[in-house]
Amino acid sequence: MVGLLAQAGEAARLDTPEVEWTALAPVLVMIGGAVLLMVVAALAPRGSRVGWHAIVTIAVAVAAIATVVPQWNRVGDDGPFSVVAGSVGVDRFSLFLTVVICASVVIATLFTDGYLRREGLEGAEPYVLMLLSASGGLIMASANDLIVMFLGLEILSIAVYVLAGMHLRRVRSGEAAIKYFVLGAFSSAFFLYGVAMVYGATGSTNLVEVADFLARNTLADSGLLVAGFALLLVGFGFKVAAVPFHSWTPDVYQGSPTPIVSYMASGVKAAGFAGLLRVFVVTFGDYRLDWQPIVYWVAVLSLLVGAVLAVVQTDVKRAMAYSSINHAGFILMGVQAASDRGVSAALFYLAAYTFMVAGTFGVLTVVGRRGDGHHQLSDYAGLGRREPLLALALVVFLLAQAGTPLTSGFLAKFYVIDAAIESRSFWLALVAMLSAVISAFLYLRIILAMYGSSDDAETADGAAATAGPRLRVPAAAGIALVIAVVATIGIGLVPDPLSETARDATPELVASGD
Amino acid sequence: MAQYLPVVTLLALAVLFAALSFVASRLLAPRNPTAAKSAPYECGIVPSREPPERFPVRFYLVAMIFIVFDIEIIFLYPYAVISGELGAFGLVEMIVFVVAVFASFVFLIANGALDWGPSRRLRRVDPRVSAERTTATTVRRVGLDGREEAA
Repeated sequence: MVGLLAQAGEAARLDTPEVEWTALAPVLVMIGGAVLLMVVAALAPRGSRVGWHAIVTIAVAVAAIATVVPQWNRVGDDGPFSVVAGSVGVDRFSLFLTVVICASVVIATLFTDGYLRREGLEGAEPYVLMLLSASGGLIMASANDLIVMFLGLEILSIAVYVLAGMHLRRVRSGEAAIKYFVLGAFSSAFFLYGVAMVYGATGSTNLVEVADFLARNTLADSGLLVAGFALLLVGFGFKVAAVPFHSWTPDVYQGSPTPIVSYMASGVKAAGFAGLLRVFVVTFGDYRLDWQPIVYWVAVLSLLVGAVLAVVQTDVKRAMAYSSINHAGFILMGVQAASDRGVSAALFYLAAYTFMVAGTFGVLTVVGRRGDGHHQLSDYAGLGRREPLLALALVVFLLAQAGTPLTSGFLAKFYVIDAAIESRSFWLALVAMLSAVISAFLYLRIILAMYGSSDDAETADGAAATAGPRLRVPAAAGIALVIAVVATIGIGLVPDPLSETARDATPELVASGD
Repeated sequence: MAQYLPVVTLLALAVLFAALSFVASRLLAPRNPTAAKSAPYECGIVPSREPPERFPVRFYLVAMIFIVFDIEIIFLYPYAVISGELGAFGLVEMIVFVVAVFASFVFLIANGALDWGPSRRLRRVDPRVSAERTTATTVRRVGLDGREEAA
């Protein structure tokens, strides 16, 4: 007994990692802000007129963006570094995506405020969940270890499952949540299995060590590793809605509350691509010949299926879901290129796409009316006359998504196609341009519906009369729409700041200092 | 492989026990079924009628509260065992964790997850009609819907 006590007394200190809190600041700000908001909102009386939940959420997201600035400079001065025993990496790639994800939270929050009031839903929970989900996205963007990546993925996903079912009184919302949850759980299992395979092939889950191992050794039998690639791709492909892991997207986008869809299409997609780029392009870069063909075909399928099925939809929200699959195909072209140019093209695309898709779903939120059910193409008939400004904003977003010059969408598409051609994937580039033409038909169809010909005008007015009073655009949603329009046109006119920033934002893997 | 032998043995024993139980029950038990015995969820009492009304299901709240404390104990107990070895690092981590758990506990209490009384909270909302589901009841209060003069 005495011996046991003595043994316990002189037990060796466990090797605990040094935690550099400042490097984790964006994530800590988001999580801390979310927990604080949750507690304060629970204790404060409900039903206040001022949307302080939304204001706090935006303040937290902006604060997280503010913490990025000093780190961006630090990485510029001292180079990228890794913290927490090499499991979290801080480079300009992760910081860039941190800003993108936080921006998508800000815009989605501005739409959510008006939406919650309109639908008579109260409470701070949607905002808390969105902040927590975004913090998971930030973890994914900076993860240097597959296990940390998985943690980020789950933090991101579980909150979004709940957000999808946020509208308690709409059956479709609950259906969307269950569907998303069940399929998402499956994809997480695939991802974990992939992690296990990679661990089996390389002996580590740390991306630095995996890359190191693959650089120093030639695997006699790469079957295990390729199986790992495939399974990891399933996990990421599900989150970014790439074909053939896309089947949840239309149903979930259609059923979920529209402002949440704006976050799903921008923030969640950005986080998924963050993981995809870091794991595949950076870590498995030496084995690109093994995974490039898989990503190639996933990209081709996403481009074509997204574009073709979007055109035949009559529900605008559903059509936008397919269009987001098409966009995922474009961004996958940047991944497939597996080059610095590909990565910066994908980052540029993600940043530009965040604003245009968030804006699109913002307009859809307003047009959806109370009950969030007016999303048929016929509901848009005559919108150009009834709500000229709202319709104009939607035109800008749709033209940007179609890739019209002078909008951010044109350069985004140009850069990824450029990257694909540089990596000699000519057929992929051709398919991409073809799919852009097909999906342009969808966007023009919506625009034509809004500014319909005089023949339709009669029926449109009839529809407007039955649809009730004028659409009310809440002030917060108006601000968000202005931000999104300015960003979409601004990036299109003056792309250099963003494209240079995206070029600087190269992902790097750095082993821990100690 | 030898160290896995106990696991395999236990697995075999478990399967064997389950199989033997079924066989023994089939062979030894007398069979004279009655309506009450073969009813679903049989517990010896024959249900005389269907439940007369919808009633709140609070199990999910209990389950959620349970998870909060369950997870807390799962982490706190091992920490208590090796707190000395973890040192300041472990202390900080545990404080972060406990604060997060405590925040969720405050959230639960503030939202009335522990208010088990029937409808004390309900009276505070609009007495005529409330389509909201509160934590005190999941049954929507309707019935006076639209009868504003009556109220």
